[in-house]
Amino acid sequence: MERMSWLSKLTPRAGGQRAPRSASLQPPVTADPETCLMVFKNHWAQVLQILERRGSKPAPDDLSAVRNNTYQMLNLLAEDRPWGDGDRDKSQGDGDVACGPILEFVAAENLLERLLCWHLQGDFTEERKVEQLKLYEMLISQARQPLLRHKPVLTPLLRLLSVCAEPASAPLENSLVLLLNQLCVSVAREPAILELFFHSHTDQGPANLIIFSLLIPFIHHEGARGQQARDALLLIMAMSASNRAVAQSITDNSYFCPVLATGLSALYSSLPRKIEVRGDDWHFLRREDWIGVSSLVLFMNSLEFCNAVIQVAHPLVQKQLVDYVHNGFLVPVMGPALHKTSVEEMIASTAYLDLFLRSVSETALLKTFLRFVLLHRHDNTTILDTLVGRINSNSRLCMVSLSLFRTLLSLNCEDVMLQLVLRYLLPCSHVMLSQKRAVRDLDIYGKTAAKFLSLIPRCCRPESPPPPRDRDEEPPSRARGHGSPGADAPPAPKPSTPSRLSFFMRQASAAPAEAAAPRSPGPPAGSPSRPGPRDEVAELDRNYLEYLRDARHSIDRCAWACRVWSAPYDGEDPRAPSPTPDPDSPPGRPPGPPTPRTKKRGLPEEGAREVPGGPLGGDEPSAGGPGPEPRDGGTLMNGAHGAAEPGRPEGDVVVKKVRRSPQGEGEGGGGAPNGAPRAQPPGWEPLPSVDSLLEELLARVPAEPPGTGVSIETFTEELREIEAEMQNGGVGGAPASPAEPPEPPLSHEEEEAFASFTALPEGDTGTGRAPPRPPDPLAQVVASPPRAVGPPPSQPFTGPFVSVLFGKLENMPHNSLYVNFLLTGLVAQLACYPQPLLRSFLLNTNMVFQPSVKSLLQVLGSVKNKIESFAASQEDFPALLFKAKKYLIARGRLDWAEGPGAVPALRRPDTLARSRKPSLGELLLRHANSPTRARHAAQLALQGLRDGGLRDGGLHPLGPPARHGEALRVRNAVYCAVIFSEFLKELAAIAQAHAVTSPFLTE
Amino acid sequence: MNPFWSMSTGSVRKRSDTEEKTLSGELRTSPLRASAKKQLPSIPKNAVPITKPASPATSSQSTNGTHASYGPFYLEYSLLAEFTLVVKQKLPGVYVQPSYRSALMWFGVIFIRNGLYQDGVFKFTVYIPDNYPDGDCPRLVFDLPVFHPLVDPLSGELDVKRAFAKWRRNHNHIWQVLMYARRVFYKIDTTSPLNPEAAVLYEKDVQLFKSKVVDSVKLCSSHLFDQPKIEDPYAIIFSPWNPAIHDEAREKMLTQKKKPEDQHSKSMHVSGLSWVKPGSVQPFSKEDKTMPT
Repeated sequence: MERMSWLSKLTPRAGGQRAPRSASLQPPVTADPETCLMVFKNHWAQVLQILERRGSKPAPDDLSAVRNNTYQMLNLLAEDRPWGDGDRDKSQGDGDVACGPILEFVAAENLLERLLCWHLQGDFTEERKVEQLKLYEMLISQARQPLLRHKPVLTPLLRLLSVCAEPASAPLENSLVLLLNQLCVSVAREPAILELFFHSHTDQGPANLIIFSLLIPFIHHEGARGQQARDALLLIMAMSASNRAVAQSITDNSYFCPVLATGLSALYSSLPRKIEVRGDDWHFLRREDWIGVSSLVLFMNSLEFCNAVIQVAHPLVQKQLVDYVHNGFLVPVMGPALHKTSVEEMIASTAYLDLFLRSVSETALLKTFLRFVLLHRHDNTTILDTLVGRINSNSRLCMVSLSLFRTLLSLNCEDVMLQLVLRYLLPCSHVMLSQKRAVRDLDIYGKTAAKFLSLIPRCCRPESPPPPRDRDEEPPSRARGHGSPGADAPPAPKPSTPSRLSFFMRQASAAPAEAAAPRSPGPPAGSPSRPGPRDEVAELDRNYLEYLRDARHSIDRCAWACRVWSAPYDGEDPRAPSPTPDPDSPPGRPPGPPTPRTKKRGLPEEGAREVPGGPLGGDEPSAGGPGPEPRDGGTLMNGAHGAAEPGRPEGDVVVKKVRRSPQGEGEGGGGAPNGAPRAQPPGWEPLPSVDSLLEELLARVPAEPPGTGVSIETFTEELREIEAEMQNGGVGGAPASPAEPPEPPLSHEEEEAFASFTALPEGDTGTGRAPPRPPDPLAQVVASPPRAVGPPPSQPFTGPFVSVLFGKLENMPHNSLYVNFLLTGLVAQLACYPQPLLRSFLLNTNMVFQPSVKSLLQVLGSVKNKIESFAASQEDFPALLFKAKKYLIARGRLDWAEGPGAVPALRRPDTLARSRKPSLGELLLRHANSPTRARHAAQLALQGLRDGGLRDGGLHPLGPPARHGEALRVRNAVYCAVIFSEFLKELAAIAQAHAVTSPFLTE
Repeated sequence: MNPFWSMSTGSVRKRSDTEEKTLSGELRTSPLRASAKKQLPSIPKNAVPITKPASPATSSQSTNGTHASYGPFYLEYSLLAEFTLVVKQKLPGVYVQPSYRSALMWFGVIFIRNGLYQDGVFKFTVYIPDNYPDGDCPRLVFDLPVFHPLVDPLSGELDVKRAFAKWRRNHNHIWQVLMYARRVFYKIDTTSPLNPEAAVLYEKDVQLFKSKVVDSVKLCSSHLFDQPKIEDPYAIIFSPWNPAIHDEAREKMLTQKKKPEDQHSKSMHVSGLSWVKPGSVQPFSKEDKTMPT
């Protein structure tokens, strides 16, 4: 489970920093305050002599003298305590009641300021800056009294910071980040100081949360520096939650959100474009897969950080960040990435999207991702429809897409289900009118179950005897159980368990203590107490109880999760929208289902969006358009976007863009939000900055040649350039288009490949195919909105998702084993949803559908026939079937053996997980040809079977990959026979379990 | 008795211990709460049907045919479904609990809150024919023969047949039998009685009838704490109020009532997602609520 939890990590890290240093820098144990003050004054007197020697350049001696004395002084200052130590607690309470004698002296003399001035006059080299930063860091972290609240300390500190803002060497940056981190920790301890940061002016202009803007460039850095910066920022974010002024300052006057979000884009562009794995079963990215790929780790770090920010920050920040993620990452980068022309890239991007969806835990962020998937239109097709269409492919793309849908379904999200299935069922046009009321019927006598079970092909029934000759048996185990989330140790709410080894161990939970544990993976062959083959077959046929148990569990969980839905979807509530003819709607559109509006601009179907026009105008660049509007005119002070900073010196903080609103002072004090938009102050500069910054960035991101990626350093560079441009008044450069450069035309091969696997399944091919579309073959083939595969207008249609799934199901005998695993798992997942509309459609076998609507039962019936006729044509079918079961059982057992250990392993330190087995990560890097885990597993398990013959049948799991079509065909069909029978049991169990769902779950 | 049911007990035993405790704990609180004006919680929450009914061994018996081997599951699940329907009905003052030994036998108790039989607490047992749902209607027998025209004065059996002359699958459900059992105490029918004395008295001498009823109610109450007639771990047992045991259970029930969310939250901390405005069928149509700070 890789839920993101940043805060838990944060606290120890922030706190832990002090310990080692204070240990090494042990200052002289408290002498009495009087003496200390004397010593201090003494040091100061020496320094002063040097400082006051004006004019002449300081000699090297002077420098080291000042350095030494300063060091001593600051150490003393750190040790300084308020008078009357007993009152300390009180004095911390409010104001500057008491400060220690040295601090008093420092304030009176304005000592620190004068020191800094002296440094600034001279040649303030980087080395010296580092020195100063370190001194301050020491001072802040070790002070015995609150120092930051005192202007004589704060002001020079801020000034120093602003001097250090220029791009610099690594040591300087390290010190800078460390100091900033320390400051954030102090501020987090004493939030009142935050106000002071707002109100302080350096002589270089407002210091408006300079800490913050200094940290931003380090957001995406890797290593300790980046981590410290992110931790520090997160502390500020957490503070913003209770301080609107801070939140507003972050959203209005800083680049935090855009940098964070567009940083994702930059990082994404350096991810591998191709996921090279040899194993034919690979279909999704597990943690141990990606943990070895540094670019992916970097990306995940930043995504995790976004997630954490959204978790802790003020709603304002949250909202802005989420919008930027949508408009700055998902739409311009993820969208095109998902539509790359090469199949390999589609596979990679789909797997990435799946990984992201599984990793995000904050609802607000998840919502943005889902909104993108469901509503965003790329090339006039929603992402969702595109993805649905890809289930039709034959390749790994199909598997990856199925995995993505597994993730989507496991969210139990009403919006997802509405778009995928429910909206097509709402009008109830798929059932005969007379049947409409039966939608809510529950089948309490197991009729449906009996129907499903009766579809188990004759050739797979237990009566058909297994080949008697094969005596080399293994102890039986559940061949294939159920891929319910329950397979994982703790019930996982979301598909947060990419670890689901359960894929090929769809029986994980079907191995409960009493059944499987005793015969845990023993020696594969020749174990003493082994039952005969007949027993084994019987065992396979006896696992129905496990299916029932799993079904019960899955349905309960699903029903419980769906309580938050807005409606029961029982045929009456909600009512289907009245089919108002939509002018946009092409004639091929079925009546009833809501018509997605086809907008030309902006985010399609975003009419319901709370925010008319987010910070960005949508997926098209609004060149020089208005800046971020105050999103909520009633409560936001739009003045916050105010005038450009006066007299920013050249080379000032680069990513700091801290504009000070004219009312800035008032804000900190909680100035009342102004209802009406304020008159723009003269010199008000429309703030295209953020937008155009974003555009600039985005324009560059995809333009990178594939593979190179944008290093984060380059990215920061660009940020600076753009910043500089903006300072000079406006955006330089051409109006950038965030969109992809025009895609190269498809290669002939690719086109063909696509055409071959996107061929629609029989049954859908008949009528009303694709109205004329833009001459993009890809769009034509892949697009599968209702209109693409929809029937003529008069005919009811149950939606592209169902039709693709059914088509694929019907094709089961030709699908690969792995596709069938995923496919049947997905349909089972769908069947667990308790909404009567869906349940009755899939599971009510008494329901009479309109003639044009295919039912699940019909589809399964045709698969049954195919299997039976195949079995009849294949002489050695029983033997093959037997072998197939053996293989699956062995494989399942191996996975199961790994299961209990492997799942927790993911939560252990990554090194452990990595050392366990070759991960995809390594494969990606090495391009190694090593076999996948499953293959390897099977190899071990089936060692004994190797000589067992059947080589010619092509079924042998370890035989060379079937080269000629016939062998492959046979193999697929035989595996299918096994999977199909188990699938029917699973469906039957689900049907039965629906009738006994506790009403307490759904009430 | 169907061998299937008796066999199944073994596999259930593990679980029964814990379940039994909570169950009887809650039910024991009933007498006191019944006299209070407050409504009882509809059905004890823990009285969920047995979920792991059949031992794997059963199916091995019937390997001679796929269908045959699933038969027991259908019956078991049909009864579970019936029980679920009962729970959904929330019949006021009626509680049932399938027996530990057989899903074909349900224990029940009915509380009469007003009318002639006010304050009556009648325990009963429902017997479901093993060819359910294709057999006769279930029988309902009171532990003690209540003085009532439709209750057999010797066996305590209620005349259910008159209401369900022919038991029709899909149409008739066990909750209807329970509802009928409750109804007879409020609306008294004297035609072709099983207890002619009661019928005649009701027609001719209501006063005497009433006093007989009161006696009968008292009698039933006086036997309330008796050991259950049928030995079964899931039999309904009443015991005098014992603060040491019952106060806590009562408290738990009351607080559960307030926060129904909590009941399952331990076992299922899953929440789905929805941004659909009620009444809308558009995704993301719900207003964005500002997150609490």
